[in-house]
Amino acid sequence: MAHYEEVNVRGYEEFSHAVSERKGKDIFAYFSGDKDVQGKSWCPDCVKAEPVVRGEMTHLPEGSVFIYCQVGERAYWKDPSNDFKKTLKLSGVPTLLRYGTPQKLVEDECLKAELVRMMFTED
Amino acid sequence: MAALCRGKHRWRRTNCLYVSTRNLTGKYDYDLVVIGGGSGGLACSKEAAQLGQKVAVLDYVEPTVKGTKWGLGGTCVNVGCIPKKLMHQAALLGAAVKDAKKYGWQITGPVCHDWATMAEAVHNHVRSLNWGHRVQLQDKKVKYLNLKGSLVDKHTVKGLSKAGKETILTAKNVVIASGGRPKCPTNVPGAMEHGITSDDIFWLKKSPGKTLVVGASYVALECAGFLTGVGMDTTVMVRSIALRGFDQQIAGLVTDYMKTYGTKFAWKCVPKRVDKLSSGALQVTWTDTQTGNDHKDTFDSVLWAVGRAPETKALGLDKLGVQLNKETGKIVLGADESTSVPNIYAFGDIGEGRPELTPTAIKAGKLLAQRLAGQTTELMNYDSVATTVFTPLEYGCVGLSEEEAEKRHGKDGIEVYHAFYKPLEFTVAERDASQCYIKVVCERAGDQKILGLHFTGPNAGEVTQGFAMGFQCGATYSHLLQTVGIHPTCAEEVVKVNITKRSGLDATVTGC
Repeated sequence: MAHYEEVNVRGYEEFSHAVSERKGKDIFAYFSGDKDVQGKSWCPDCVKAEPVVRGEMTHLPEGSVFIYCQVGERAYWKDPSNDFKKTLKLSGVPTLLRYGTPQKLVEDECLKAELVRMMFTED
Repeated sequence: MAALCRGKHRWRRTNCLYVSTRNLTGKYDYDLVVIGGGSGGLACSKEAAQLGQKVAVLDYVEPTVKGTKWGLGGTCVNVGCIPKKLMHQAALLGAAVKDAKKYGWQITGPVCHDWATMAEAVHNHVRSLNWGHRVQLQDKKVKYLNLKGSLVDKHTVKGLSKAGKETILTAKNVVIASGGRPKCPTNVPGAMEHGITSDDIFWLKKSPGKTLVVGASYVALECAGFLTGVGMDTTVMVRSIALRGFDQQIAGLVTDYMKTYGTKFAWKCVPKRVDKLSSGALQVTWTDTQTGNDHKDTFDSVLWAVGRAPETKALGLDKLGVQLNKETGKIVLGADESTSVPNIYAFGDIGEGRPELTPTAIKAGKLLAQRLAGQTTELMNYDSVATTVFTPLEYGCVGLSEEEAEKRHGKDGIEVYHAFYKPLEFTVAERDASQCYIKVVCERAGDQKILGLHFTGPNAGEVTQGFAMGFQCGATYSHLLQTVGIHPTCAEEVVKVNITKRSGLDATVTGC
C-alpha cells in the first residue's frame, strides 16, 4: 500500500475539486497533455517525463497526495486563456508542482530525476 | 550513513559524519567548498562547477532573536535588496494612487494599505527565488548542504546541522562568503530583547505599527521610507549624520524629502533604553546630545539599523590565523580575494573594504572561481561601482562625492555642474520637486573628466545605470555635451547640465 494518495483527474474543474477536497494536505500535481486511446499523450515531453516522475514517487512524503491531471487536447492547451494558464499560471506541460508553494518544475526540468526527487524530499 | 565512512580514518566518538576520507595522495572531497549561499557564494560555486570543479556550498541561517529565518539565497534575496525593493514599490504605488486622482482616475474614498497582503506577496516571491536557487544548484551539480560551516583547518570544513550533527568536508580551496548580519546595540538595555532588525522587518506577518528606526544608513532610511509610505507613523533617530560615505549635500536632499513626506527625524539623538510596557508597547528613552536632555515616547516597534557585521567568530578563523580587521571583524583581503592563509579566500560583505553590494559580490565570485580553475588572471575591479539608495526620493550615483573629489583634486581642481529639475509627471500631480537634483562633478582642466555623477529623482537606479557605463569608459563633460537628450525624461537633464556651482547662478531648470 503506497504511503501517498494518487488521484487521477481530467480538466480544470476536476482538478480544483480534487484539491478542495484535500485541504491541509501536501499536494503534488503533475500536469500532462491528454492521452489518446492508446495511452499516448500529444505532448512529447510529457511522454518522456512521466516515467521519470513515476520513478521518483517512492520519495513522496508520507501522507501526501499526488494528482495526475490531464489538461486537455492540444488545441485547448494552446489557447492562452485556458483555466490552467490563467488561474494556475502554468506556462507549459509537463509541469510538476507542489500546490500552494512556489516549488515548481517546468518542461525539461521534469526530465531530470534529481530535480524531481529534490522536490519530493525538500522541506 | 555509516557506510560512507571508509578507509584509514577511525570512527571518532563525536557524533560526526565523514562525507568521505582523505587518502594518502592528498586528494580532497571537493575542489572547492564555499561557506555561504548568498549572492556571492552561489555565483562562485555555480561558476566553479560549470568550469568542471567539484563544489559544495554550505548555507545556514542562524535565526534572529525573534526567531526569523529564511531559505537559500542570502541577504539580498531574503532580507535585503529584493523584499526592500518590493516594499519600496508598495510605498511608491500608494503615492501614485494619490497622484492618479489628479490625472482623472475616479478613486472614491481613502485608499489604505494592508500589510499582511503585501507581506504574503513578497514572501511568495522570495520563496520562489529560494526554490529557483535550489534548482539551479542541483542542475549545475553543486552539492548543497544546509549546514553551518566553520573551518577546522585550511583544508577541512565542518558543517553543523540544526540538530547538532557534524559533517566534515575536505577541500583543496575554501571560500568564505558568509556575509554579515545587522548589529544590535549592546549598551542599550532592552535593545536586543524588544527591538527588531532588517532581518525581521521583511518577515513580519503583522504591521509593525508606529516605528522608531534607529540609524541613518541607507538601510535605516530605506526602511523608514517604505514604512512611512505604507502608512506607518515612523521616526528616524540619527546619532550624527545621514548616509555616511555618500555625498552629504545629496544626503540632505534625501532626508528633506522624507521629512516633507511624513517621516519624522530625531537628529543628534541616541537611545538610552527600551522598556516594554504592560500594554505591549515599547517605551524608548533617548538623549538629545545637543541639549543633554532625555526624552521618552512609545512605539509599537523599534528597528535597529546601526550597522552590519560578519559572524567571523563562529567561523573559527582566529584558530587558523586568518587576518581580520580588529574594528570591523571583517577579513583582510588581497586584490585577488586571498586571505592571510593560502588556499582560503573570502569575498562579498565579509571582505574588509569591499562594497556591500550584490553585483560586486557576484562578479568577484565568478572571477575568483575562474582564477581558481586557472581560466583567467583577471582581478575584480571595485572602482566606479554605481549604486542607488531606494529612499522615497531615490538617489543614484557613480564615482566620487563632491567632498571626496575636492579632497583629491582640491576645490580649484574640480568643476561642479548642477541642476534642480522637475519631473514632468510631478506637474499634473502637483508634487513638490524641490529635492530633484543632478550634480556632475568633473575635473576642471582639459576635457573635464567626470569624477562623480549624482541624481535624485524617480527611477534613479534606471537613470544611473546607463551613465555608469559612460563613467566606465572615462566619460568627460564634453561627452555629456555631445549627447542629445531623450525627451521628455528626467534623465535628459543629466546631459543638459551647464550651470556650475562656481558661477553662483540659479541652477533651477526652466521648461523646454
